[in-house]
Formats: sequence, C-alpha cells, structure tokens
Amino acid sequence: MKKKCKVVFLLLFLNISIAFAQQKTVTGTVSDQSGVPLIGVNIVVKGTTNGTQTDFDGKYSINVNEGQTLAFTYVGLKSVEITVASSNTINVTMEEDAAALEEVVVIGYGTQSKKLLTDNVAKIDASQIEGISTPSFQGAIVGKAAGVQITQVNGKVEGGVKTIIRGLSSVSASQEPLYIIDGIEMNNRNTSSIGANLNPLLSLNPNDVASIDILKDASATAIYGAKGTNGVILITTKRGKLGASKVSVDFSTTVGEPTNKRDWLNAAQYVELLRESAFNSGFFADQAASDAWVDGRLPRYQGDEDWRNVDTDWQEEAFQNSITKDVNVSVSGGNEKTTSYISGAYNDTEGIVRGNNLKRYSLRANLDHEVSNKFDVGLNANYSSTIIDRISGDNSFTTPLQAIAQVPTSPVYLSNGDPNDGTLYANFLLQDKHSFRKTSVRRILSKVFGDYQFLPSLSFRTEFGYDYLSQTVDRNTGRLAPFQSTNGQTFASNNGTEIISTNNYFTFDHTFGELSDLNVVAGMTYTRLKNRAISVTGDGFPTDDFKSVSSAATISAGTGTFTNWAQVSYFARATYSYDNKYLLKASLRNDASSRFGADQRNGYFPAASAGWIISEEDFLKGSNVVSNLKLRASWGINGNTPVANFGSLGLYGGTAYDGVSGIAFTQIENPDLKWEETAQTDIGIDFGFLNNRISGEIDYYVKKTNDLIFNERIPFEAGAPGHAILKNVGNLENKGFEFVLNTTNIQTDDLTWKTSFNIATNKNKVTNLPNGADLITGRNILREGEPINAFYMAEYAGVDSSNGDALYYLNTENSDGSLNKTTTNDFSQAQRIIMGNPNPDLIGGLSSNLNYKTFDFSFTFQGQWGASLYNNAGQYQETGFGNGLDNQDVYIFKNRWQNPGDITNVPQARLFRNNGHSASSRYLQDADFIRLRNITLGYSLPESVLEKIGFSKVRVYLAGLNLITITDYRGYDPESSNDDANTNTNVGNTFYSAPPAKTFTLGVNLTF
Amino acid sequence: MKNIKYIIIVLCSFYIVACESELDIEPQQSVSEDVATATADNIEAILVGAYNTGRGNYDGDIANISVLFGNTNQVEWNGTFSNLRDIYFKQMVNNNGSANTIYGNYYLLFGNVNTVLANLDKFTDPDRQDRVEGEAKFLRGLAYFDMVRLFGQQYNAAGGNTQEAVPIVLDPPNVTRQVARNTVEEVYAQVISDLTDAYAILPDDNGNRADKYAAQALLARVYLQQGNYSAARDAAHDVIENSGHGLMPTFSAVFNSDDNTAETIFSWVITTQEGANAQVTHFATQALGGRGGDISITPAYLSKFDSPLDERGNFYYTDAGLTLSLKYVRQFANTEQVRLAEMHLIRAESNFREGTSLGLDPLVEINTLRSRSSAPVLGALTLDLILNERELELGFEGFVLHDYKRTQRDIGGLPYNDNKLVFPIPQSARDRNPLLSQNPDY
Repeated sequence: MKKKCKVVFLLLFLNISIAFAQQKTVTGTVSDQSGVPLIGVNIVVKGTTNGTQTDFDGKYSINVNEGQTLAFTYVGLKSVEITVASSNTINVTMEEDAAALEEVVVIGYGTQSKKLLTDNVAKIDASQIEGISTPSFQGAIVGKAAGVQITQVNGKVEGGVKTIIRGLSSVSASQEPLYIIDGIEMNNRNTSSIGANLNPLLSLNPNDVASIDILKDASATAIYGAKGTNGVILITTKRGKLGASKVSVDFSTTVGEPTNKRDWLNAAQYVELLRESAFNSGFFADQAASDAWVDGRLPRYQGDEDWRNVDTDWQEEAFQNSITKDVNVSVSGGNEKTTSYISGAYNDTEGIVRGNNLKRYSLRANLDHEVSNKFDVGLNANYSSTIIDRISGDNSFTTPLQAIAQVPTSPVYLSNGDPNDGTLYANFLLQDKHSFRKTSVRRILSKVFGDYQFLPSLSFRTEFGYDYLSQTVDRNTGRLAPFQSTNGQTFASNNGTEIISTNNYFTFDHTFGELSDLNVVAGMTYTRLKNRAISVTGDGFPTDDFKSVSSAATISAGTGTFTNWAQVSYFARATYSYDNKYLLKASLRNDASSRFGADQRNGYFPAASAGWIISEEDFLKGSNVVSNLKLRASWGINGNTPVANFGSLGLYGGTAYDGVSGIAFTQIENPDLKWEETAQTDIGIDFGFLNNRISGEIDYYVKKTNDLIFNERIPFEAGAPGHAILKNVGNLENKGFEFVLNTTNIQTDDLTWKTSFNIATNKNKVTNLPNGADLITGRNILREGEPINAFYMAEYAGVDSSNGDALYYLNTENSDGSLNKTTTNDFSQAQRIIMGNPNPDLIGGLSSNLNYKTFDFSFTFQGQWGASLYNNAGQYQETGFGNGLDNQDVYIFKNRWQNPGDITNVPQARLFRNNGHSASSRYLQDADFIRLRNITLGYSLPESVLEKIGFSKVRVYLAGLNLITITDYRGYDPESSNDDANTNTNVGNTFYSAPPAKTFTLGVNLTF
Repeated sequence: MKNIKYIIIVLCSFYIVACESELDIEPQQSVSEDVATATADNIEAILVGAYNTGRGNYDGDIANISVLFGNTNQVEWNGTFSNLRDIYFKQMVNNNGSANTIYGNYYLLFGNVNTVLANLDKFTDPDRQDRVEGEAKFLRGLAYFDMVRLFGQQYNAAGGNTQEAVPIVLDPPNVTRQVARNTVEEVYAQVISDLTDAYAILPDDNGNRADKYAAQALLARVYLQQGNYSAARDAAHDVIENSGHGLMPTFSAVFNSDDNTAETIFSWVITTQEGANAQVTHFATQALGGRGGDISITPAYLSKFDSPLDERGNFYYTDAGLTLSLKYVRQFANTEQVRLAEMHLIRAESNFREGTSLGLDPLVEINTLRSRSSAPVLGALTLDLILNERELELGFEGFVLHDYKRTQRDIGGLPYNDNKLVFPIPQSARDRNPLLSQNPDY
C-alpha cells in the first residue's frame, strides 16, 4: 500500500512538473567507457514518442521539458536514464552490460542464457548466413553446426533438402527435424504432386531470419516430445527495436554454373567404341557385318543431317549458366509502446538446369505492442508466393540431364530449327518447347500472441498460429511433346495444408534468497493439420493454343482426398541454478496423437539434465587462463509417430474395373502400432580459455531408438497390400562425438580474425530386428550390427584379363565362416554382402571471419566422410553399350579391356550383352568430399564518407558458393542424388541427378 | 479489476482447445475390413478390385514377356528397359525387375480372389454367388497357369513333373504366411480344378467379365500345353460350337477395338481412365502412345509367310526404320486374353495329332483361317505347317515361348528346357520368405 501511494505521488508530481515545465533544447555527447563517441544511441523522452539518435560524433540534440526523463539505450550497453534538470548539456557515459553480452539461446517455450544452459544447442546468427545465395535458408547453414548434416538432394532450385541431426533415428517414420518458427510449428511436409520432392521451407525468405537455434540433445528436445526425436530447429525472425526507423535495402546478382561436368564420348570415340562393342557381341559373323549394323543404326538418329558430320555435346544442352536476382527491403523501429519489423523481398533464381527457375515474393510484418506494463501483444504475419518452373524428375526421359544418354552423332536441332525428334531417347528440348510444369507455392505463416505478467515472477503466454501451405500445379504437354499421343494433356492440381496450433503456458521465474534461481514453464499445446488435395487431368485439345482443362475433350483422371490429424500435448519444465554454479533441469511432456488407436495414443517423454560451472568455483574464479569451464550431462526420451495418418488401421479403398467401382485392400491393420522412442544421453564440456579467446564444446552422445516403426516386408505369398506391414519392429543406435572450437586469433583495433571449427562423428547401428532377420529393400539392407540402410549388393571383382569378362566375388560362406573370394562371371552366383554406408560417419565445418578496417572476409568449408553413393545410371553410362546405345563415360573408353592380358576394371564392351552391368559394387563409390561452401569479401564505406552521404551503412560484397569441391567421387557431385527414388529405406543413389550450383554473387547492403 | 479483463482474454485461448475427442479422426477415403467384407455387394466389389489387380499383369506384360523370352528371330528389342532386354537376350539375373513385379502382383491377385472365395456366405442369391465364385476361380486359374509356365520347367506329358513351380495359396491375405514352392504337377492340378469349377458355374455370357467359355477356352490352352490333345480338342470344340463367338470377317477387324469383338472370348478392359495398354507401350510409336517401337518385327518373321497376299504378313507399318506391328496401335484398346482363332488352331492341331476331325477337318479348319487373311489355301497339312500357322496368326500375342517349349523346339539357340528359359524366383521374394528355393542357374 505504501508503494502504491508513492507511485501516485510520483505521477502527480510528474503531471505538475509537466504543467509548469518549460521546453528547452538539451545537447550532449554519448561515449563509452573508454571515451569513444557512440553513434546511433537511441534517446527517447520517457512516456512520449519524442526521440532521436546520436550522430557520427556521438552528439545529440533534443527538445525536452525540465523534469522529464531521457532514456539512452544501445545494444550491448546498460541503459541510462537521466532526469532533465536545469543544465542544457547532458553528457553520458554508457557501460558494458555484462548480462547482454551473454549469449542467449532460444529453447522450447522460452529462452535461456547460454552460460547456464545444460542442453546442447547450436546457435547460428543472421550475420553468419548473410549474403549466401541459396533459395532456401537451410542451404545457408550448411557446415555451421556440429552434428548437423544438411544436403540438398540435387541441383534443381526447388529440390528437397535432407537435414540429419546426430544420425538417423528412424527407418520409416520422419527422419527430419521439427521446424518451429517463432514458437509455432512449421509444416515441412512434402506435398509435391508431380514427381520429385519440393522443399516446403522454400517459402521462407532467408533475409527475415534473425537466428537459428538447433536443439540436439534430449534435455533440449524432450519438451517437444513426440516430434523432437530428430532434433528441433527453432527459427526466430527479426523484430523491430526501439529507436528511430531504420531502412535496409539489400540487392544482389548471382551467376551460377554446375559444380562439375563430366566427360562423355565425342562422336569419333562413340563410333569407335560402338563398332568394337558390336563386333565383340557375337551377334555378327565378322567385323564387316557388325560395322554394317552400326552404319545402318546410326542414321536413325541423325535427323536431317549426315551422322558422320555431327558431333554434339548433349551435356551442354542440359545445363545453363544461371542468373539470380535478389532484392530485400526492410524497415524496422518503434517507440516504447510499439515496435515493428516490415520487409518485402523478391528473389528470382535461375537453375543451372535448363528450364528450371523460381520466383519468390514475400512480405513480413512483425509487430509488438505494449498494452500496459503488464500486458504485451504481438503479431507475426508472413505471406509468400513462390512460382517454380519445374522439370521432370530424374527418372524421366524428358528431364534435361538424361540428354547425356543421347548419341553424339545426333544433331540437337533439325535444319528447320525444331528440336530433332529422331534422337535415341526422347529429345528433352521437345518437352522444353512444347510443355510446361508450373508449381505455385503460396504460404501464409502467422501468429498472434499475448503475454501477461501477473506478478513480477509469473507470466502467462498464449500463442495462436496459422500456417497455410497451398501448392498448385499446372502441367501442360502439347501435342508435339515426347510421348504425347492424346492431342495434348493438361494436369491441374491443388494441395492445401493448414496447420492450426496454439501454445498456452505459464512461466514462473524467481530468485529465492540470493543464490537460487528457479524457472518453471508449464502449459499445453494443440496442433491440428488438415490436408485437402484435388487434381484433374484432361486430354485432347483443339490445338496447342488451348491449355486449360476446360478445353479438354476428355477428363481422363481425377482425384480428391481429405485427411487430417491432431495432437494434444501437455508439458512442464523446471530449471534451477544455485549460485550460477550448479544447474539442474527437468521436463516432462505428454503427447496424444490421432495417428494411433485409442489404446496406444498417449506417450510420456521425460528428460533431465545437470550442469556444473567449475570456473565459478573459488579455485578457478579469476583465473587468467580458464575463463569458462562447465560440465553438462543430460538424458531424455523423445517419440516419433508414423508418417501415415491412419497407419494402425486395416483399410480398403476404392478402385474400378470396366467402369464399375470396386474395393481394393490397401493397408494391413496393426492395432499394436505405437510410438517410436528414442532415449538420448549426452555428456558435454563447455570450455573457454584466455578470456574466452579460445572456447568450445565437446559432447558425446548415445541415442537409442526402440520400437522402430518400420514398413516390414512380408512374404509376397501373404497376398497383402504393399507386401508390407507397419510395425514396431526393431532398435537402433547412434553414438557420436561433437567437437566445437571457436578462436579469436587476432583482435586489434583494425583487425579481427575469428575461426570456428566443428567436427562430429556418428556411428549408426541397427541393434535389433525381429528374429534377427535381414530386411532388404532393393540395394539397401537393415541388418543387426550394421548401419541403417547399408548398401547390400554383389561385390565386383574387376575383369578377367584373359577374356574381358566382368567378374564378381562369390562371397559364399566358407565352413570357417570366412567369405569365399573366388571369382565368377555369373552374376547370379555372386552372393550379396554389405558394401558401404549411404550416410557419413564424420562431418565437419570450418568457418573463419576476418575484419580489417572496413573490409570483411569470411568463408566456410564443409566436409563429409564415410558415405557412399550408388550410381544407378552406371548400368547405362558405363557398360560399353551392353545395356543400350547410351553415350558412355570417357572413363570406359580409356580403360576398357581390349586384348588378352589387359589389366583393367572395365570389362570388354559387348553390345547388348550383360557384361558387368548388373547391380554391384562396380557402380558404388565413396562420396567423401571437402567443399568451400561459401566465401565472402565485403567492403563498407568508412564512417567519414557515410556521414556526408547520410547513410549508416553502405557495403558491397562479392560472394561465392560451392566454388571448390575436393573429392575422388567420379560422378557429377557427391551431393547429387536421385530425386525420383530416394526414400527412407532406398537411399544413397544417383540417377542422371544434377550437381549443385556453383555461384558468384555481387551484392550491396544499404542502411539509412 | 482491470486485470480481470486480461485474464478473461488469455483464458479464452484455453476455451478454443477442446478435449481429446479432437483426436478421434477417421479416414475419409477408406473403410475398415469389417465394412469391406460385410455385404454381398462389397464382396462383389472386391472381385472388381481383383480384375483391376489382375490387369496389372495382363495389360500386355505377360504377353510381351512370352514374345521377348520366346524370341528366336521374330522380333528385335530396341527399348531401354534392361529388365526386358535381359529377358530378350535370355540373360536374366535373380533381381530382374519384371520377374519381381509380376510375381508380387500375382500374389496380390490371389489375396483378392481368396478373400472373395472365403466370403461367399455373404451371398443370398445363389446365381450371383455362382457367378462371383466362378469369376474368382477363373482369375486364379489363369494366374497360376501363367505362373507355372514362367517360373517352372515345361510340363512333361509323360508324367513326373516334380520340378518346382510356385507356392499355391488358397486363403485370404495372412501376414505371417510362409510357404514353400509347389510342384508343376500340383500347380497344373490347381489350375484345372479352378477352371473346371469356373466352367461349371459361370453363366454363358457375362459382359466384359469372364463367362463359362472363357474358362473353357483357357482349359483348352492348358490341356494343349500339357500335351493332352484330346481334352484340348474337346474344350476348344465346345467353345467354338457353343460360345456364340465367331471369327471377324477380316483380320484387321480383330485388333485395336475399344470394345470386345465377336471373336473376343475374354479381354482385359483398357479405357482412357483405367489401365495402360503395355502392348501399345512397347510396340507402337510415341505418337500412338508407345515408347517409339521397343519391339519391332524382323525380316525373318516376315519370311515365315508363304504368300505376299497374306494380310497377316503385311500387317505392319514402318517408322524411323523400324517395322512395327499394326496389332497394337490403339492406346486405349482392350488387351486380348483369348480369341476364337486360337480355339480353331487348338482344335485343328489336336485333331491332327489325334487323327480325328471333331467339328471340322484340320486342313479345312486351317484353310478357313487362312482365307480370312487372303492367304492361299494349303493342299495338305503337316504338324510343322500347323505350328507355323500359329505363329502367323497369333504373332506377338504372347504364344511363342510356350508353343516352342511344348513342342520342344530350340529358342534363341537354347534347348527348350534350358534353365535360362525359366524365370528366376525373384531375389526379393526369397529375401522375404526363406522357404523359397531358387531355380537352377540363378
């Protein structure tokens, strides 16, 4: 009561003072502790919207009444408030704010000081991803966080992105981390209705991202319960800051080309090898007969030229040099009551593969408003529209990269300028000219929130989020396109996914006595996803000028589906620290998901962690050497749900025969289907030496996943749909070390040089399968004691030097258990063995930043070791015409067996004879690589110039992406994989897949 | 009091969230097994689904395999599918994609038809029950007949036939089922039992679905393959005499029809909305809906015709240097399973072998067929002429592999019983079921 009276008194006093005060101009200088003037300090008259900023000399001038209070704020420094008295000059010295310098990480339903954190969280700031020209934000964080492997599927602009955090923890449920944007779950479900996956997160403008926090250990992820198994990526977008409005304009232009091109036979080499191969085939009596066959065959593909005069490099037709334009404008600022961040962006990315490009428009407004000193509300609103010109999936004759299979004696065009329609395989340029496949992705991501402070230590926050992802496809194939037989075809579809979610939780934060800090978070969250997909196909158009379904003569196909799922969760977490030395955290989450039957619906996911900051103990406190030393340990359990919404039910769906509708058995029931559970233990050390000039983290983790949900393959003879049943059938394990080292190598007034290095191992092992039996999918196997989806195939043994036959190791088991390494030329006799791992066991990154005066220079290297990649197109590209007339890799030409005694690993070329092209380790290669992922050189105008032109920042920069790749991999690129066939269990294969882009960017950042 | 307002606002957000009944979500596009098998209408709908499953193999794939696998010099393979190329060159390996797909799909079909057969008690109308049972057994018999011919060695008329074929499954889907292969003898016995039952209970006419003469026509084919000529003759005769089907007036009228012709005994329905004609896919140009002529006709095949007047020998077109059959140029035409001309050829051959002339003298019967195509009549018959006539009439329709095997002729330089002329049991099937043995040489 006493306190309240004081407030009232103060208010009265202020009112009175205002009434009698005289306005005057106050000037002064703001400087830091060392006396250096501070530029851009925000100064506001408290309780008003009246404000200014200091200029380049740290000087300010403001109209104010005596008795009013001036508030000085500056990032990283303690705020200062001074009541205006009679003096007209107020000089201010601002001190460093130790608390603000401490890094804060975003964790689920709150934030925490990195110093007191007992979890493993990797943080990436906006400054680390600025200027990296990739259409998706995931592409920008590659190599920057330990144990986080991010791979773009291949070089198509819209291509899917695979993110693996601490190894694969699931076989057939989701392997992707959970994405949370500003506290709201973000839909990362692929809804591409034509062929290859499309990265759903493309719709996010990377320039809006303020920071990315990656939760890796269970103590951090368990608060997300059933969705946290694969780690959680928390994206925080930029918000307005108190102070005068700041306008930023960024624009850049990027040129790109493939990281790598391969060497294919030219016309002369092709004809030479084909003649040799035809003769070797044994189909012809003599060389004259086989030559005659070749001479008779090649004219088929020559269009209206003479094949003898043609030498086409088809690869050049498939690739293009790309140009990308990016413009981003943002305005941020605000007063004490309301702050805002508003941005608009446009990105036009051309792919390096012909006919592939993307345009994205995006808008964002983030608003924060203080209703009262206890009640804050806010809004995030983001709309984006992404329009993509897509090309066919990798396993399609009309995808540009399959042009490399064409015969080099085929001209690209006919003499009339039309694409040659007489090529060996469909000429993709006919597709390019006479068809299109346009996908539009429209996305609304928004949330409103309110935060009410009941007591200084107790607040309640409610958030309501809405994420709408609409994907429409318009695909038209004109009558002159390849494989078009119905006078044109148009496919139109719409796939809309809506996620409604709400988070409601209390936060209690209190210091007991002097030393005990307790933070408790408790609440609930509800998420519901609704998906509605429709499509229609029309055939038969009057002419190619008509393209919409309405003009079609026949409606030949249509689909319409509706599906949804929901999850209700309750969670609580307590974080306790004593004397900033002893740290404890515990959390519990309960999830209930509609994806399970009523009996298996609930899952409970606990976690606990502890930390000890040794450097705060008396014996280390004040040490000149050790500035930070913390031990951490955590344990927790996460869950994972099946991907299918109704995976536990036995289902019959609709079908038809002869216009009569029928019923088809579509799914076997498994009422026992339950959560996958991953228990993760993590032990870590955080260290800092020499005033944190050298700092880092070392972690060791063990993740054990039980009750793996797996599409268990059942005997064909069971007669059941898909020949598989969704079951909880096995266990697997990931173990690994992570090491992070950050160093400030040089720090002087003019020069700063910092380096950050991370490396992570992961050993993945399947530990238990039903009856210990192998589960094989194509060339991948699940076997106890081996890595998940290990490559399983016949072992290629090279070439019989006496006759040029391809050889395989028998690999039958000898009586002593060893493998019989006798060779055979009969592929079917060769037993399959484990030949490699599709996933790396070692990944790392090295980043460095160097600032000299107003120059800045930074780069990131990434590396990966231990993975193999299977070239499923090797059976066509490297066979010496054993499997068709496809153009061959020059490697085959140079290394082929020709005469008895030749020692080589390339068998004799035999036309249409299978001499070594069955699936074996011949086409499996190590995919180790080190890559200069990004490099940037920037120059900012010095302050003296900026002052004259009225800008606060003018920077030009030159940046590169993927400029150098060091690898022994012989295909296009160790990071280009088949976008038509890679599934969770059929992994690590490439098939006419485009390499990523190598790009150069010239950009400008302006702020005023 | 002011605070109360805010508390009301924040508590409203709890109100939005209902209880856990939000989690009771039912699928929209599917029904449960209880519902699916509850009524006679649904059981019949499952039978319709079985036709759809069967069409997966019989949209032309099974016929094309016989054409390619049985090729000596009749066709050339120009396509890119390595699974079909390996079949063409008789260099199949144990993970051949066609073998895998076909094998798996057949057991899905058995799952469908066995579910129907296990739920016949849902029917109250006995005629309807008979028809549904007959159709299901027809599909099962047909499927086992093609499986036994592809995955096992040729039936030996002299007996024995203990060579392994494929597992016989007569029960509805069961995820724990593991069964070993049955012998060729056992599978043939099952085929004959199913088709005989089907013949007994199917109606004379059943629209585009199987009727009793479809079953009888298949039986004729089965007996012929076994070398049981009298039974083959009698069955073919029954179809010719009683089915009501007749030869089309011209050879060209037999093919590329969207609907069944008078000559069609049974075909698989393809429409713009259902199925894909795999014969068109592999025989026709891109403009006609094919892949550009994967399978083309050789001069050696054309030289089997003894007269340039024979329309069957001129039934082709050329595109980009390829000679392509005119039998498969209509993308949405039905795929023929059995037509009356084959019955005439079976009856003629069987009569000839048995020295009988049931229905018609073999020479007259062959000449009748030749006359339709303007081929000059033959003066006298030999077995070779009859067998050649089958190739002329039924070329590319999926007979050559089985005809050469039953007559013990070499195929592509290999003896008829060479191990490489039998499909491998797919590696994937053996990965799933350890009881499955592999065929020799795989």
